[in-house]
Amino acid sequence: MESLLQQLERFSEVLAVSRTAAVSAWGPAAVRRAVQWARYLRRAHGRLRAALEGRRRAGPRLGAWGGRDVVLSARLLGNRALGAAAHRCLLRLLFPGPAAPAPAPAAALQARLARLARRRGAVRLLLRGGPAEDAALRTQAELLLRRLRDGPAGGLLDGLWARAPRAAFLRAAAAALLLDPAGPAPGELLRWLLGRADALAALCRDLPAARLAALAARHPALRRAYLRQLARWGCRLRYDLPSGRWEAAEPAHVSWAELRGRFLSLARAPPPLKDAALAALEAWSARDGAFRVRGLSVWTDLLLALGPGAGTDSLGAASSSGVLGAGGCRLARPGPARSPEHAHFPK
Amino acid sequence: MAQDSVDFSSHYQFWMQKLSVWEHASTLETQQDTCLHLPRFQEFLRQMYEVLKELNSSTIIERFPTIGQLLAKTCWNPFILAFDESQKILIWCLCCLINKEPQNSEESKLNSWTRGLLSQILSAFRFDTKEVDLFIQSLGYTPEDYCPGLLKNMVLSLVSELRENHLNGFNTQRRMVPEKIRFLSRICIPLVTLPDIEPLVEALLTYHGHETQEVLWPEFFDAVNEAFLLKKISLPTSAVVCLWLRHLPSLEKATLHLFEKLISSERNFLRRIEYFLKDSLLPEAACHPAIFRIVDEMFRYVLLETDGAPEVLAAIQVFTQCFVEALEKKNKQLKFTLKTYFPYASPSLVMVLLQHPKEIPQELWLQTLKHISEMLREIVEDQTHRSYGGPFECWFLFIHFGGWADIAAEQLVMSETESSEALLWLLAFSYSPRDGSLQRAQTMVELKAALIHLKKLFRSPTLSAKDLQAVAAESPDRDPRPALCQQLSRRLLLNFLLWAPGGHAIAWEVITLEETSGSGGGEISPAQSSCFSLLLLLALFLDHNNSQVKMS
Repeated sequence: MESLLQQLERFSEVLAVSRTAAVSAWGPAAVRRAVQWARYLRRAHGRLRAALEGRRRAGPRLGAWGGRDVVLSARLLGNRALGAAAHRCLLRLLFPGPAAPAPAPAAALQARLARLARRRGAVRLLLRGGPAEDAALRTQAELLLRRLRDGPAGGLLDGLWARAPRAAFLRAAAAALLLDPAGPAPGELLRWLLGRADALAALCRDLPAARLAALAARHPALRRAYLRQLARWGCRLRYDLPSGRWEAAEPAHVSWAELRGRFLSLARAPPPLKDAALAALEAWSARDGAFRVRGLSVWTDLLLALGPGAGTDSLGAASSSGVLGAGGCRLARPGPARSPEHAHFPK
Repeated sequence: MAQDSVDFSSHYQFWMQKLSVWEHASTLETQQDTCLHLPRFQEFLRQMYEVLKELNSSTIIERFPTIGQLLAKTCWNPFILAFDESQKILIWCLCCLINKEPQNSEESKLNSWTRGLLSQILSAFRFDTKEVDLFIQSLGYTPEDYCPGLLKNMVLSLVSELRENHLNGFNTQRRMVPEKIRFLSRICIPLVTLPDIEPLVEALLTYHGHETQEVLWPEFFDAVNEAFLLKKISLPTSAVVCLWLRHLPSLEKATLHLFEKLISSERNFLRRIEYFLKDSLLPEAACHPAIFRIVDEMFRYVLLETDGAPEVLAAIQVFTQCFVEALEKKNKQLKFTLKTYFPYASPSLVMVLLQHPKEIPQELWLQTLKHISEMLREIVEDQTHRSYGGPFECWFLFIHFGGWADIAAEQLVMSETESSEALLWLLAFSYSPRDGSLQRAQTMVELKAALIHLKKLFRSPTLSAKDLQAVAAESPDRDPRPALCQQLSRRLLLNFLLWAPGGHAIAWEVITLEETSGSGGGEISPAQSSCFSLLLLLALFLDHNNSQVKMS
């Protein structure tokens, strides 16, 4: 078994090389060996998989080896650097023609390659009906989860964060968390995300509000982290009296409009999330004194911006998940007026 | 040989033209045209491969200078690539084009170009952005891993759109417009036999929209039906029923396909008939009255065309049995009155006939048979009862439930008392429905005589096969209807062999004698074939009564 795993490792090197210009050194014999090796590994993989059905120890590592013969074939076929003679040998091996008897491994690989071509045709045809972003995102999420299940995750996510295109990675991660909320793989993903401040910040920043609301609804831990992040963003806004607007201190910071948009989508979510978000706003507003005057607290202004229904609803309801601060202020009645000398009114 | 090559080059020109037309416009018409021609084009590709593989690359170019264009246009047509095995054959053809020893730069260029096409079939056409590609790569996966997953998810999302559901967490709630549905049905035509597409095919078939007109492409139904009959797609019964309800030609083709199977099999024994019938899903689908009526109509047609062939009678009988079984299973769900299935029959008659003999205690069989006989007689002999169809309609209904005729014969044979008039009438009617009352009366008299004779014979201690055969063979001298009486006699004879004590031993003797004594000259006598078909019908009856008697 160990030797098989070693062979798999060595084959992965071959696979990596098959894409590069180094194949120009391969002659027909090398190609033949590579293809035979791939066929052998596929058979061995199949038997091993069956034998290890119950055991998870070495099983996960085999997960990625299913279709390597197809991958090798496709790569070699597409690699311009492969010499002419080697390429002809490859064609003979991969496409023996109708005469090849059915159960032989040669015919099996041929059938698999034909099926791949057919599936590609199918995707092209279906795409004529319009783009399929949802399906694409879902597929990426599934692959991410599969990778997490198949391999030791330890350095994986850190590595991905370092190397992979970040936007794609975050989108796929969010999709993965929505796809399968419970389960070991997404659990790992969530833990990593919560432990990595920069990743979390980027996630909250880059994803659209509605997607984050959905995520927050599914995962309480993420909800708390998201709200904390929103709090951080809000605190960085400064009120500009002449224009009467909240401004970001730096262009890179989250703008007022964006923050409001976030809270709007949270307020549209179903009760547990909606209540939590509004309650948070209440609490922060209360901490700032809960004066119903614009420009004093970004939280108050947000509450006002969310509309009349927002604040009173969560206050009126006795069952709100009360995170009301010590001030326990009611926005229903006007707060105490501040004395004029504390306000920055224009003269 | 010369003729072949002339044919082939004219085909070549034809397809070259077609491909050019399909390439330049991607309208509805061209798509439809492409889908119509896919199977024939695949045949052409196969023929071309057979031609190309014998030649070397330079000869190919000499003989078919435009072959590069033809193959390239084929590569770029996703409908062709998506169909059945076309992509595989295309790859074989391209492999033939590769020059083993390129002598000059022209030939090298051709090789290079061919290599490009080959890799294009398998790996070009990026499905997503470069960013996504890099992400997949960083995960350690390849486009070959991505593609099947993407296809599966695209199908999933289309299926749930069709079913107006949400995908978990992705909230894609969109109602699909009819144009899109029609488009999907067109796209699916080449893809029908690809297993990944099955859920979409099923969803399209069972889609119940709000449009008044059929929204799916008729060629789509044809393609699905073909694939289903050739067992290249596996669909749940509900989807197949939807297919047949929405597209009549498919139902007709399916029934014809079944008939062909029933006819082409050698000795169609009961088990085989039942298996073919159940396998075709037609009895189950026939729980829908519309489907039942059409299939029944086709059975009726075949029966008339074959002049009442026993094989067809047997098929109708087994079909009805399977149908009744399926109906009973569905009893809670489908509620159609009997009249919708048998509009030309008296409902009370149908109700009685539908009963399975097993469900009625044996003592009551005689009574039930008399009742059936009376009802039929009333309809047949009463001229004013035209609403229930003529004698043929009655008979056609009756033979659906042919088990009752078998029981009538058995009762006649086993009864100690005088043969009941009702049963004699029933048996005579079942063999010859169009007789006038006079002729039928005569038949009944002859039957009675034969019965008495056979009963006497079977009571005698010294019974031999030759005696019995004499009985059966006696009839030919008796005009004017030798065939009918002969048939009836044989029927009674076989019943005697089954039920009378000591009959089994004699049975083998008789059958062997029957086989060896032909009407001379080596032709298979009608006696032999009718003997076997009677055996078949009896076996039918016995099977369903779990009899201990073995008929082989």
